[in-house]
Amino acid sequence: MSAATIGKYAAFARISATQASRERNELYGRMAFFAVILGVFSSLWRAVAEAGMPVAADPKSLVWYLAATEWILLSAPPIHIEIQAAIRRGDVVYRLGHPVSYALAEFATGFGLLAVRAPFLGLTAFLCAFAFTGWTPPLTALLMVVPFGFVASTLITALYLGIGLLAFWLQDVAPVFWVWQKLMFVLGGLMLPLELYPAFIQRAAAFTPFPWLLAAPASVVLGTHPVTPGALTRHLVIWSGVTAIAVSWVFRRAVSTVTINGG
Amino acid sequence: MPRAAAVELNQLSKSFRVRRARGTGVAARLRDLFSGDTQTVSAVDKLSFSIAPGERVAFIGPNGAGKSTTLKMLAGILRPDAGDVRVLGLVPSRQRRQLAFQIGTVFGQRSQLWYQLPPRDTFELLGRVYEIDAREHRRRIDALSSVFALGTLVNTPVRHLSLGERMRCEIVASLLHSPRMLFLDEPTIGLDVSAKAMIRELLWTESEREHVTLLLTSHDTGDMERVCTRAIVINHGRLLWDGPIAALRRSYLKAKRVTLWSDAEHLELTLPGVRVLSSGAYRTELEVALEITPLGPVVDAALRQTAIRDMAIEDAPLDEVIRAVYATAARGGVPS
Amino acid sequence: MVADNVSFTRALVATNFKATVALRGAFVMQVVFMALNNFTFFIFWWALMQRVTTLRGWQLGDIQMLFGIVAAAFGLTVTVAGGVRHLGRFIEDGDLDTLLTQPQPVLVNALGLRSQPSGFGDLVSGLIFIVWSGQISWSRLPIVVVVIAASAVIFVACGTVFFSLAFWLGRVETVATQLWELLVTFSLYPEPLFGGTLRLLLFTVLPAGFVGYLPVRILRAPSLANVTILMFVVIGYLCLAVLIFDRGLRRYGSGSRFTTFG
Repeated sequence: MSAATIGKYAAFARISATQASRERNELYGRMAFFAVILGVFSSLWRAVAEAGMPVAADPKSLVWYLAATEWILLSAPPIHIEIQAAIRRGDVVYRLGHPVSYALAEFATGFGLLAVRAPFLGLTAFLCAFAFTGWTPPLTALLMVVPFGFVASTLITALYLGIGLLAFWLQDVAPVFWVWQKLMFVLGGLMLPLELYPAFIQRAAAFTPFPWLLAAPASVVLGTHPVTPGALTRHLVIWSGVTAIAVSWVFRRAVSTVTINGG
Repeated sequence: MPRAAAVELNQLSKSFRVRRARGTGVAARLRDLFSGDTQTVSAVDKLSFSIAPGERVAFIGPNGAGKSTTLKMLAGILRPDAGDVRVLGLVPSRQRRQLAFQIGTVFGQRSQLWYQLPPRDTFELLGRVYEIDAREHRRRIDALSSVFALGTLVNTPVRHLSLGERMRCEIVASLLHSPRMLFLDEPTIGLDVSAKAMIRELLWTESEREHVTLLLTSHDTGDMERVCTRAIVINHGRLLWDGPIAALRRSYLKAKRVTLWSDAEHLELTLPGVRVLSSGAYRTELEVALEITPLGPVVDAALRQTAIRDMAIEDAPLDEVIRAVYATAARGGVPS
Repeated sequence: MVADNVSFTRALVATNFKATVALRGAFVMQVVFMALNNFTFFIFWWALMQRVTTLRGWQLGDIQMLFGIVAAAFGLTVTVAGGVRHLGRFIEDGDLDTLLTQPQPVLVNALGLRSQPSGFGDLVSGLIFIVWSGQISWSRLPIVVVVIAASAVIFVACGTVFFSLAFWLGRVETVATQLWELLVTFSLYPEPLFGGTLRLLLFTVLPAGFVGYLPVRILRAPSLANVTILMFVVIGYLCLAVLIFDRGLRRYGSGSRFTTFG
């Protein structure tokens, strides 16, 4: 990829980032929801602690764990919605003729949105988790969560792109998204660290990228069985590769469907 | 003894308090709500007219003239600020439900029909809306469907219908409860020529047959001419002209816009009833009053000067007619 | 006259349902996947309660019942009165105009204009959760129906209040949607988790407590007192919703708008 090509996609990212930083209402809504969820779960873990903690971690760090996983999840913009809408409208057919890859352009657009959402939501995560627990994890832990979490969010965005592209075949991708997202909640250990799930679920999770997207980066704040940066990098690279291959394959099939059936 | 008017307006006025929205989101809107930064926009200004039962009236005016606002006040959707209005003897804003049984509405830009379902399902639901006896209602659906030549359209999902077919079904839907008065807001907008013609004829026939009073707003002079007998022209919320269409036609609508592309840069044409609007760059625009000078002599006169490459003939745009009406009214004169 | 209103409402609901199932494939997919969505999410609770057994007096069965009632009530709301989520848009886009020219109650008409097929998935999965909780015997069936209906009415009433803000504030989709989602979210968590001030909120402004907690309590141990309270609460919120919508309609009739002129 030449510098010029990268520049093209960077432009997409820049435009969407600028737009996102102006239209902040939806983001404020996400921030409010985030605060509420952290509040609910800080109560939940305190109640669990009363009954006896099932895992070797205290309620405070579990709230920070949730703050981290939710930060990673909520930062990724749900671009599948706009992609589906564009495919419905028929806009996409025109854009396929342009000298930019539609899929890459949408990914770049998503990345721009992510770049705006992540800091806002990250700040919310930090402030709320601190407010609800009165404690912060060690700085080294947070410094590890941020970059890996950001990469994970980027990967999630790419997966959303893949789901959005399914709109070429499916009348409505929303149902697929719902189930896919809930699987990510469970297999990615969003609210509950994976070790609290039965063995068969943990085994199933190993076949998916989900644990490496949410649980692994966030587990650093738990302070129990910390995952090494090396292992995290290795798995994120592998799954990035797999995702890139899968999404581009879906996109190529989509393009050939359009050119065969005439949009 | 004269029959009671179907519609009676007396000094009807309506203005809108428009608030500037400085931002989006609840906080901004709450601030705006209490900021007092409002503008009052007058939409309808002391409008008075009355419509007799069975009349078919065209309600004309450019965009923003106050047509939709007036129509909404007649239907009971908006409350007037001042003046009186009575529709079928009822006060719309106070007796909305009673009035609703007696009026029908067709909004060109909105649909009453359920998109995923065949029109028949909407028709049946409307039977419950207007509390009509089921058997009588079914007979009415069949009768109107045949008058409007709906055929199999009735059982085809609305999303598969063309705009013209949908419009026919919309009008049937509005007539199912045998209203005494029908309000139509741009009923032929977006339709092709043959669809327009069909709709116009059906409206005219139905109104005659069932003695339904029609009030229709439109930008299309064809709607006016083919369906209505009377025109009410408003602009800036004020009544400009109220009279038979024939008179309007006599005064204004027989003028045609003729554009000639010729080999001569300028054309000089001095014929009675012919006004040169613009001439230059091999293109000449004329306004021709056909009653005074028909097109033949105009073209002959042009041909005597130069060869004609191309010609376009159009009706004078409605805005021009209105402006002319307004100009005449402003001068205090009465259109000849 | 009331009989005519009832007959109209019945016909409206039937037409709405017909329109919803018109696209067969999309309908089935929405129903099935929403049910799967709910079951998958619940795995979190199932896993947690396997380890913890009791959470401030609540056990897995209680949480299943809570989930079941809220899901069923929510499903009922968005299938029968699905227009509630769109009220803001109806108000802003002038879609109420057509309804105002019809001789039937505008609110009922508006609520019955839309239906979300996924709601059937919520309804079915909700019922399955209730049965799965193992705490319901066949004799309790009527109470289950009453309680689900009551929660659904509260959902509709609150949604009406939230989205009716559009009458005064214009397009406030985000805030109204946030409030709506908050109501649903809070309903899904056991009430003993929440402290004093929050609990007050959850039984007043955002009645998640009445949508979820009180019904669970009633189903665990039905008492006339509790059922009476629930009925009063339902009627109260319903009256509030009707009142606010009615006021809003009057404002709609004045035609005052927000605009971005400048």
